[in-house]
Amino acid sequence: MFSHLKTHEIMENTIKVERAILSLTQDDLAKKIGVSRQTINSIEANRYVPSTVLALKLSQVFGKHVNEFFKLSSDD
Amino acid sequence: MEKQNFIECERKGLQKLINFRLPSYFYKIGMVVIGISIVMMFVRAFALDGDQEVFKEVLRRLFVIGLLLMSIAKDKDEDEMVIKLRMQSYTYAFIAGVLYALIIPFVEYGVSNAFKPEGEAFHDIGDFQLLIFILGVQLMCFHTLKRMR
Repeated sequence: MFSHLKTHEIMENTIKVERAILSLTQDDLAKKIGVSRQTINSIEANRYVPSTVLALKLSQVFGKHVNEFFKLSSDD
Repeated sequence: MEKQNFIECERKGLQKLINFRLPSYFYKIGMVVIGISIVMMFVRAFALDGDQEVFKEVLRRLFVIGLLLMSIAKDKDEDEMVIKLRMQSYTYAFIAGVLYALIIPFVEYGVSNAFKPEGEAFHDIGDFQLLIFILGVQLMCFHTLKRMR
């Protein structure tokens, strides 16, 4: 039924790029969406997958749809 | 309709309970409580005479209360990632606690009987020993996970 979904999919993001476009530091972005700088760092390094609420907050800051800076990719 | 309201009310109450955290300054209060109880344990052991069993029990409880305060106090910058790491640390601490309770009695028994035949009899670990271990592991895991994030 879900054969089109790969089992080992990970999420990648271009938050670092989006942040650079807006000339925001990790700390600035963290303050804008109400999280710690370390959380932004972990999201950028793909160590932490944020909640939908946080993803939507990022979307508001960047003025783009969530799937423009988050995408699924296979790790194999 | 009334049943639905009741379920909704119960769900909200449960959610409040799950999300309950003490303010971050309780972490420091917990540290102070632990510090006081450790100092008093030394005082009891070396400076006080006579039967101090009640005092010993009070100090043990104080120590666990201190650890609990540190465990359920909010982080200074509490966000969803910190909440997730805390949940992970509770999971690790629970698993470690179960393994500790299963294995340590045999280790203690084995060690005490290895060198002399009349060693200690087999006995389970105490409640406080286990509680202190679980809370200690939780705090350690939480700080390690936070440092590695």
